[in-house]
Amino acid sequence: MLDIKQIYNFEWKFLGIILLISGIGILTIFSATYGFAVHATPYYQKQLYWIAIGLMFLFIAAAIDYHTIIKYAYVIYAVTIILLIAVLIKGRTGLGAQRWLSLGFFSFQPSELAKIAMIVLLARYFSDKKVKAGFGMKDLILPAALLLIPLGLILKQPDLGTALLLSFIFLMIILLAGIRLKAVLATLFVCILTIPFIAHYFWGMLKGYQKNRILAFFDPEMDPQGIGYHIIQSKIAIGSGGLFGKGLLQGTQNKLKFIPEKHTDFIFSVFAEEWGFIGALVLLSIYLVLILWGITIAYKAKDRSGALLAAGVVCMLSFYLIVNVGMTTGIMPVVGIPLPLMSYGGTSIITTMVALGLLINVKMRRLLLFY
Amino acid sequence: MDDRKTSEGSFKQARVRILVLAVIIAVGLSAGISRLFYLQVFRNNDLSKIAVRQHQKTVALEPLRGTIYDRKGRVLAVNLDVESVYAVPSEIGDAREAAKRLSRFINEDWRILEKKLKSDKGFVWLARKIDPNIAIKIKNEIKNEDLEGIGFIKESKRFYPKKELFGHLIGFAGLDNTGLSGIEARYDEFLKGEDGFIILERDARGSHIFPSSGYKPPVKGKDIVLTIDESIQYICERELDKAIQKTHAKSGMVIGMDPKTGEILAMAVKPSFNPNEFIKYAPAEWRNRIVSDPYEPGSTLKVIVASAALEDKVASPSEPMFFGEDKIDIDGEIIHDTVREKGRLSFRDVIKRSSNVGAVRIGMRLGKERLYSHLKSFGFGDRTDIDISGESRGILRQTREWSKRSIGSVSLGQEIAVTPIQLITAVSSVANNGWMMKPFVVSEIRDEDKIVRKVYPEIKKRVLSAETAAEMTRILTSVVEAGGTGEKAAIDGYRVAGKTGTAQKIDLKTGLYSDRYFISSFIGYAPAEDPQIALLVVVDSPEGLAWGGSVAAPVFKNIAEDVLLYMNAPSTNEERILMVKRE
Repeated sequence: MLDIKQIYNFEWKFLGIILLISGIGILTIFSATYGFAVHATPYYQKQLYWIAIGLMFLFIAAAIDYHTIIKYAYVIYAVTIILLIAVLIKGRTGLGAQRWLSLGFFSFQPSELAKIAMIVLLARYFSDKKVKAGFGMKDLILPAALLLIPLGLILKQPDLGTALLLSFIFLMIILLAGIRLKAVLATLFVCILTIPFIAHYFWGMLKGYQKNRILAFFDPEMDPQGIGYHIIQSKIAIGSGGLFGKGLLQGTQNKLKFIPEKHTDFIFSVFAEEWGFIGALVLLSIYLVLILWGITIAYKAKDRSGALLAAGVVCMLSFYLIVNVGMTTGIMPVVGIPLPLMSYGGTSIITTMVALGLLINVKMRRLLLFY
Repeated sequence: MDDRKTSEGSFKQARVRILVLAVIIAVGLSAGISRLFYLQVFRNNDLSKIAVRQHQKTVALEPLRGTIYDRKGRVLAVNLDVESVYAVPSEIGDAREAAKRLSRFINEDWRILEKKLKSDKGFVWLARKIDPNIAIKIKNEIKNEDLEGIGFIKESKRFYPKKELFGHLIGFAGLDNTGLSGIEARYDEFLKGEDGFIILERDARGSHIFPSSGYKPPVKGKDIVLTIDESIQYICERELDKAIQKTHAKSGMVIGMDPKTGEILAMAVKPSFNPNEFIKYAPAEWRNRIVSDPYEPGSTLKVIVASAALEDKVASPSEPMFFGEDKIDIDGEIIHDTVREKGRLSFRDVIKRSSNVGAVRIGMRLGKERLYSHLKSFGFGDRTDIDISGESRGILRQTREWSKRSIGSVSLGQEIAVTPIQLITAVSSVANNGWMMKPFVVSEIRDEDKIVRKVYPEIKKRVLSAETAAEMTRILTSVVEAGGTGEKAAIDGYRVAGKTGTAQKIDLKTGLYSDRYFISSFIGYAPAEDPQIALLVVVDSPEGLAWGGSVAAPVFKNIAEDVLLYMNAPSTNEERILMVKRE
């Protein structure tokens, strides 16, 4: 299962990019939490530990042949569902949502595992099935059902961001797997018919703060001290950064705590305030290199399952990146999505590292066939 | 194999579709970058302004106001260190409790204090410039009860150590250190100094306030030196007070001027007001009536009428102008005389005895046009441009508005309204050999020890020839000698020149001249041969005998006597008169 020889195929340059983004993240967390109470371990130091732990997960995810992982896709899926049910029964509540499962020394979010599980599952399903002219409606019923189970459980927590991510990955993978035009139209039709019901159900299930965030997105000035506050403050911070930024530790909106959630979901606002448009452009370019690299892996993957697995990871990373930048700049609702590799938080870091590990995994085994 | 081909075929298609994914991601990222460009480049300016407005608060630092000195360097207006109480609302625990406790010391309803303590501002004033004793009480309260979020800042408060003595002249500065009246208002631009500022930064909760790098210290205001002499002012006020008490007069004014320079030496207005407590007085009581309120001067104006007649040589000093009559008819209008004299009176004696008939005749000799142009030349109907705000022009009607009677009335100081400053300036020019000086009260503006501006005496014009002025002084000296109306103004050892005035006030009810209320006045200068001071004494509505000679002349005498002594003026004797003449 573990192949030591694969170490020669390991993507060291790629790892460099991951470490670069993580390093920028630590620096930004350092700035965002500068002057916070010092009695605990500082956030940037804890983030350093998380990245170290995350890298271990990355190596593990890269070392096990992805074919083996895909073989156990349904097992992984089943375990995920059990944990998602467990979290609803025994989970710890935080920020109005029941997301965490306590494992003694460490709290664990099964919804994070669900992201990986869904990518692996869909890669498995659409590579098993071999069709001539794309998938039809009937072929989509089973994966749709497999999506809806965790989706429902996650929405129940509720975790809107993850639910949206899973839906996005699902749509992108069926698109990539090949789908008949009729099926596309049918899917659209079903969506249009069910959207009012789903939206209504959704709306009823959302917590007050989540509803407010979405309402605030459409009209942030409605209540500038309340629900629109996050969006307005984030826009002010980013906008006041200007072309060149205010410099490290010089962001006034950051230092004076005007930016909300500034070391987690809104870390991009802190970065953009202090490094300006140029800095943000450089950062996004580095992310773009990562994404393009992922797309190349998907494109050049040895087989269908590898391509879909890599594509799923690319979807996840790009979704996080685009939605996070979108919400901090006020063009998307605030749905509580972290900036991959930069936002403070162990679970987010580990999930991202595992996903990146899978990507490396696919790349490393591209030439395996010809050995 | 077949199976594999199909799979490979659709796999190739899948590869193409991966490019679709790339395009979707590219679109998403481009949207993000465009948005960043919009926020950080297009909207950078206004969002930066909003950011600054959110976290910065510029607090003005008040400068110290300049000091006001009299001509001898005595302090007339100064700054005291006082304390102001502020609160940082976010640090206040129980706002209602704190408000109730503070309202025991601060003169404000606790509900208003509570509202302030609960405001979302980072900083609020609770009470500005409070009494030092109250500040101590509040400090004790804070210490004892452990009230948090209340603090003190040292500010300065204007204090006028001479209290009522200079109320009208100096005026006062308000709570925000802006001059509101008198010299304080007129010279505010120099006295107030330059505001400094400190930029405070606050965080999102508004709880922590700390200074940022922005700081500009305030610049102390310039000092001002007046032409006023506190001792002379004091003498004037003291004597005026005595007279008002004795006669139960409504009000009174004294103005003292150096006739050779135009420097105002004293300016006393009664009833006085204390600028330290200006709030307790009605705004009407703040004004300096010496420059703002015109009145009918009565016989004191005969000085000007006589000077004009002599200057134009329409009469000679010894020419008889009164022939024993008790009235004079001006085209059917009758003017009565108070002088009861069987014989003739010369021009000189008309002034000495203050004959109305004689004065009317002198005025008629001049004719209304010449009378008008001389009065205009002496500055009536125009501002003297003294450096005190709120000056009135007085009322000098143009001759085409005069009635038949007017030439007679004007010659007697009626149908004309003058301000005390106009009259003293006009008469001082007689004292000053015919040269009219511009009156002024501020002689120097200083910045620490450096003189920023020095005001020199300014000649306005020549209104009389030296000969006419000398003759007029001789005539006015006779007024104070035995048999003149101003006898009571005579001072031992000095020759005094002057003229009494007793003007009927207009009864506001009837619109006619009252026979109960008079303005009793005396204008004069001493020593006559070398005048050191010109003084105008005006007493409004004294009870009993209201003659200028009986009410105002003694005030003049008492003031002039003490002032000349204070000034060390050489007493008058023949030798000195000759010496002055030679000069």
